[in-house]
Amino acid sequence: MTVLLDVKGLTIDIARDTGPTRVVDGIDLTVMQGESLGIVGESGCGKSLTMLSLVGLLPNRIKATGGTATFAGRDLLQMNRRDLRAIRGAEIGFIFQDPMTSLNPVMRIGDQIAEALIYQKNLSKPDAMIRAEKLLNMVGIPGARDRMTAFPHELSGGMRQRVMIAMGLAGDPRLLIADEPTTALDVTIQAQIVDLVRDLKAKSDMSVVWITHDLALIAGLADRIAVLYAGTVVEDAPIETIFDNPSHPYTQGLLASLPTLSDQPMSRLASIAGTPPEPGKRPKGCPFAPRCDRAIPICTASVPTLKAMPGSTLTHRVACFVATAEAT
Amino acid sequence: MTAATDTRPSNLWRDAWKRLRRNRLAVTGLFIVVLLVFVALIGPYLTPYDFLSQNLDARNVPPSLSHPFGTDDLGRDVISRVIYGARTALIVAVMVTLIAVTLGVVLGAVAGFYGGTFDKIMMWSTDMTMSVPQLLLVVVINASLKQPIATWMENMYLSTGNQAFRNTAIIDFTLVFGSMALISWPPYARLVRAQVLSIRSRPYVTAARALGLTNRLILMRYVLPNAMGPLIVAVSAGLGTAMVLESAFSFLGVGVNPPTPSWGNMISDGLRVWTNHPHLLVAPAAVLAVVTVAFNFLGDGLNDALNPKGQK
Amino acid sequence: MLTHILRRLLLWIPSVLLVMLGVYALAFYGAGDPIKLIFLRAPGDVAYDPVKIEAIRDQAGLNRPFIVQFASYIWNLLHGNFGNSLLSGRSVWKMISAAAPVSMTLGLCALIVTAVVAIPLGMVAGMKQNTRTDYIILGTAVTLWAIPAYVAGPLLMVALIMVLPGGAIPYGWGGLFDIRILLPLIVLSFQPIALILRQTRAAVIEVMSEDYVRTARAKGVPEVIVALRHILRPVLTPVVTQLGLIMITIVNGAIFVELVFGLPGLGRLTVQALTNSDYPVILAITLIGSFLVMASNLLVDLLYPLLDPRAAATTEAR
Repeated sequence: MTVLLDVKGLTIDIARDTGPTRVVDGIDLTVMQGESLGIVGESGCGKSLTMLSLVGLLPNRIKATGGTATFAGRDLLQMNRRDLRAIRGAEIGFIFQDPMTSLNPVMRIGDQIAEALIYQKNLSKPDAMIRAEKLLNMVGIPGARDRMTAFPHELSGGMRQRVMIAMGLAGDPRLLIADEPTTALDVTIQAQIVDLVRDLKAKSDMSVVWITHDLALIAGLADRIAVLYAGTVVEDAPIETIFDNPSHPYTQGLLASLPTLSDQPMSRLASIAGTPPEPGKRPKGCPFAPRCDRAIPICTASVPTLKAMPGSTLTHRVACFVATAEAT
Repeated sequence: MTAATDTRPSNLWRDAWKRLRRNRLAVTGLFIVVLLVFVALIGPYLTPYDFLSQNLDARNVPPSLSHPFGTDDLGRDVISRVIYGARTALIVAVMVTLIAVTLGVVLGAVAGFYGGTFDKIMMWSTDMTMSVPQLLLVVVINASLKQPIATWMENMYLSTGNQAFRNTAIIDFTLVFGSMALISWPPYARLVRAQVLSIRSRPYVTAARALGLTNRLILMRYVLPNAMGPLIVAVSAGLGTAMVLESAFSFLGVGVNPPTPSWGNMISDGLRVWTNHPHLLVAPAAVLAVVTVAFNFLGDGLNDALNPKGQK
Repeated sequence: MLTHILRRLLLWIPSVLLVMLGVYALAFYGAGDPIKLIFLRAPGDVAYDPVKIEAIRDQAGLNRPFIVQFASYIWNLLHGNFGNSLLSGRSVWKMISAAAPVSMTLGLCALIVTAVVAIPLGMVAGMKQNTRTDYIILGTAVTLWAIPAYVAGPLLMVALIMVLPGGAIPYGWGGLFDIRILLPLIVLSFQPIALILRQTRAAVIEVMSEDYVRTARAKGVPEVIVALRHILRPVLTPVVTQLGLIMITIVNGAIFVELVFGLPGLGRLTVQALTNSDYPVILAITLIGSFLVMASNLLVDLLYPLLDPRAAATTEAR
């Protein structure tokens, strides 16, 4: 397997009146060709910004200030605007969180899908429309021909998200980034969308990055999971390792807070005390230390770096003094 | 507005003031407005000439040291008249805005709070008023009411013998205040009504109701404080607009009439002789331009300071 | 869709009638007896004969009840009869049709100039929010908005006369293709341009933060197409709804511009009628002005579903 995307030491700052505030603080991520990576973290931990920074879609006043992001041999962060535009859609496809606001309300959905094809695949308008209809069929929209002329508000939430997926896939990207695509949907629809993406992925050599705060949701989808906390990766491991043998206290906390069928009725779910630090107000040492019940003095003094777990394969990495110490 | 309602009022005002102070255009606007008020209040004691005193030996004198803005066709000192014009403009603007805001707040609050037929009538009359071009409406009101009011004043003079009823300036001012207030209240009423409607349905008002608070208390304690920010912005813009309107009507001859100086009638007079004596036109026009721009900068600054949307 | 149009029209007609009624009532009760006014204005000492006046009043139908007179006024209006001027005795309709082309030409041109200048500049300012370009455009707009036409006009004239050799004063009317239309047109466009520019800028800033604009960029759509298709298109909806307000600004402005630049249009007619208390003329012009504004509001109402398919869905459902 070859490395498709390799992010190293990425930092992202928000320009505030009081000076820059760091929201993403040295993230390391790798995505292999054909691999599914799940990125898990609480809201505000920088997972969406990390992905948006790759294709230069960060909002005003927010900028990637350091690190590299090598995609198929080229650093995305150093690319000029024109080259970045050529990457968007064609090499890296996006699916966004809320399909209601992410689709243009005054444009027919056929036109919105065709648009991607016209500008990225240089198709003529009629060809693009034919291809768009095929895409709608592919994502399982019944009566695709009639739906081409519908406006987004005329579709249900699940259907809208399928349209989003069709748009994300229109350019045959090598990497599909799904930014919490099920958060705005009903629970029953969520599973359908996950299944759809998994099936579509199975038919191609496409890589998928799925951002979520719901560990359970992507259990059946991801090959590997990266856990983010306060703008850094705290643990990165194959899915089985994460579920069976989590090393970082935060990952353990996340898993413990998942309800399982074996739980006693009315028993309390585990929760992690405290709240994540606000950007710009991070503690000196490990960002999780103030909430960690296993913290030792070194945790508040210096920042742990992401290291391979001793005794395991190189694919299980963790940023925790206690975990690495215990394993040796 | 959520940010404004979430924080305590003291913080809101302090933050707003801080934001306003950082806005250089708004501060300039505020400075000019304060200067205007100052000049209007004590101006007449500052000027060396009376705005009415004529000097027929020095007619249409261009600006000089003794007459910084020159003199007009009757030899009256222009800067004295401009300063007195500030007084006229300010009196009209403050009075009109006061009447319009009072009317608007009361009608808007009642309409929004009680709804029903009164609300429908209120909304309908604002609709109607706002769909007639303001100038034409004032022209109609003026043309219609000038005669009846003049007749009434004459009768009052005849029956009471009070000289005040012979003062034509009073007729002018009554007409100006009345007709301008009549066209100015709808935006305030709509603003307050919209505020009331949005706040009325908030959970904390429902909670207050459940606690047995009366409508009037809820109105005073919850609704009006929340409507304050947008209202202040509207009033600041409204004062500027009223000032422009006053000069506009005086310019057309339906506002304040000579010899009472108003920037509008000075511009109108100046327009007749501007090819020979441009200073008679430029002086009042430039002052009016500067003051209206100042009011607008201040209004925009207040808007940004009090409604900090998208200011993250 | 058709029922929607019909419904709006049916709701619109009574509003127009009510505005007319209000304006007419003001004139009816406020202006005083038109026959007396005519007599007072008559040159020389015309004998003031109460019996004769009463006869004329009867003949003119002025002794009928208010509502009958109003109905007959509307009836005459529908037949293109606005009554006669108190001052000259000429048909008001003829006076208006002589003056209207001037105002219409000027107003329409101002509308076009506004759209062509304000929307692109507002787009640029909004897309470059908080940059120097934005500040310059916005600052100019605020200044233009604040300075009334009767101030801007004269000041421009004074400035121009200092630059140009004497005698070339741009004063008077020579039609659409005369160079003298330029200055009044520019001055008349100032306020509408400022209004639409600020509206466009605000809408652009709001739309720019919409998720679907980010989606369009993520699809790899070129920036120009993003601006035209995904930003401008939704921005036009709130901007077009301002048409009524623009009409008010233009009607108000035209009165001053025509006066300042000596154009023989409806504005000057208004001022002449006003100084002479020529009531039928004032009444007619006010009605025309209000009609224009209300017609633009109706037009916006009817166009709205075409601009925003979401609104179309709700009106269909109703």
